[in-house]
Amino acid sequence: MHMHPSQRRTSRTRARCAAALTAAVLTALSLASAASAKVYIDINAPSSMSVPIIIPPFQNTGSEPDPGKLAAGMAAVISADLEFSGLFRIIDPKLLNAELLRGVTSNEIKWDSLSVVGAEAVVTGVFAVSANRVSVELRLFDAVQGRFIMGKKYSGTLSEHRLICHRFANEIFKELTGAPGIFETGIVFVMQAGGNKELYYCDYDGGNPRRLTTFNSLSLSPSVSPDGARVAFTSYRDGNPDLYVMNLAGGRSEKICNKKGINISPDWSPDGRKIALTLSPKDGNSEIFTLDVQRRTLERITNHWATDVSPSWSPDGRSMAFVSSRSGSPQIFMQTLADRSERRVTFGRGSYNTSPSWSPRGDRIAYAGLIDGSFNIHTIAPDGSQYRQITAGQGNNEDPSWSPDGRYITFSSNRTGRKEIYIMRADGTGQKKITIGSGDKTDPAWAPLPGN
Amino acid sequence: MQQTAKTLLVCLFIAALMGSVACSKKNPPPAALDTNAELQNADLGAGEFRSPADIDPALAAIFKNILFNYDEFSLTPQARAILDGIAGWLKNNPAKLVLIEGHCDERGTNEYNLALGDRRANSAKTYLTQLGIDGARIYTISYGEERPLDPGHSEAAWVKNRRGEFKIK
Repeated sequence: MHMHPSQRRTSRTRARCAAALTAAVLTALSLASAASAKVYIDINAPSSMSVPIIIPPFQNTGSEPDPGKLAAGMAAVISADLEFSGLFRIIDPKLLNAELLRGVTSNEIKWDSLSVVGAEAVVTGVFAVSANRVSVELRLFDAVQGRFIMGKKYSGTLSEHRLICHRFANEIFKELTGAPGIFETGIVFVMQAGGNKELYYCDYDGGNPRRLTTFNSLSLSPSVSPDGARVAFTSYRDGNPDLYVMNLAGGRSEKICNKKGINISPDWSPDGRKIALTLSPKDGNSEIFTLDVQRRTLERITNHWATDVSPSWSPDGRSMAFVSSRSGSPQIFMQTLADRSERRVTFGRGSYNTSPSWSPRGDRIAYAGLIDGSFNIHTIAPDGSQYRQITAGQGNNEDPSWSPDGRYITFSSNRTGRKEIYIMRADGTGQKKITIGSGDKTDPAWAPLPGN
Repeated sequence: MQQTAKTLLVCLFIAALMGSVACSKKNPPPAALDTNAELQNADLGAGEFRSPADIDPALAAIFKNILFNYDEFSLTPQARAILDGIAGWLKNNPAKLVLIEGHCDERGTNEYNLALGDRRANSAKTYLTQLGIDGARIYTISYGEERPLDPGHSEAAWVKNRRGEFKIK
């Protein structure tokens, strides 16, 4: 679908005016909307093919020089997003002479050259830098038919250039699959520094890491609220392992549960009103409770002489998976909250299965299981069927946490000799280390996009 | 007179209402049991617990670490012997308080180990109370696998790290 030139001029003028009005914030304005809501890729089909896409370095059309590899860097962010999704195959732009990749619009793009390297889609970008800001125009084309699909114009601070790319990658994902992407989500994790552990927050791909807590203490086990606004965690700041809640944006924190014994392993309810956690009310016998975040009232969920720990809500809020040692070694159990009925989920495979994380789609529970001396990530249906081992042969892999769309899992692994945070697709492919630098990183919790 | 009767009726009605409230409170639905009452707030008290050896090197012989088997919180005969000695010291020093730290080796999951460390510390506490030490003098805390004594990754390190450690004040 080619746009009429006059139509494009009009949209661009409108875009420029609107951008000027909202210059302080990141803005996105359609250059044109796609004619149809066609879904190109059926992401639920097990055999869905990956789309070969090429994303040449962006062109600097401004008067100021590229302040730091934005041309290649921004294209690389979108490439990495799309490749991680598993629905795209990135074609290396170096396969083509740079001259052949200069085209930005339908009229300029060398469609024949793209066809030679097998590209079925192409993303082009131009940007201009002014003082501390960057404006970017991004376009997605169907390279088979030489057809414009959609385009966006963004304006933000230089430090937001990755966010601009993630946002356009989400647009591409949504355009081609009909589903929202996860490229603007984040991950909260724990990093060790000396004898202390503090909470950190980064983009889902490890970009923009920033420190959340400065407790100079042990802070552990973050869980992010479903609206992406708050994180619950355990900290020894005041001596005892107490439960805290902190705003992700503002950094303000509040101690919300400090019972005698442990106040650990929080997990937000799907409606955001409660936090499931582990307390040890009597003789160190840990039990699962729920804490009403507003009223601060507690309700007991489990009642067993064995160790019960690490609750994870089902997405419908009706059940809870947890770890219990009631059958000897730690195994995954679940309780139906309405009638308190409990049953074992993991049988036969591994003598030590912990850290359950219930998929937001409801159909699987991820957990860390010890087999042949190594921890690996496994997933299983809540009824105990369809067991799958997801990681294998690379160190210990623990602490699984699902992406908000249930397509991906973040986890920690010591495969490089140091504990780092990784992301992967739910089937175990696409494993990627997202953290760097010294200090063990553990306990990743995938954070939904704030406001969702 | 009529007014008095009316007032009396209202009073009776209110009393009946209150009675019914009291009745329903007596039989709360078990599923909605609010257990705040049975849970005490954490309180490690004023003043810092210190390593006994830092206070008096001679105390190191009494307050030795007690060791646990893998994924267990039951007390070994050696652990009981150490606790017997500690109980004796606490009886002779009635003003002193003890903090028992429960620790685990690095194997296994952090959260599970925090729960396990809590049980280890409480095993020791229960034994001390059975020996006649007032439970109010005994504090517990779990560090799970967070504070290893030996940072190594061998069985030799793990044996040392699965421990109960004592602090006093």
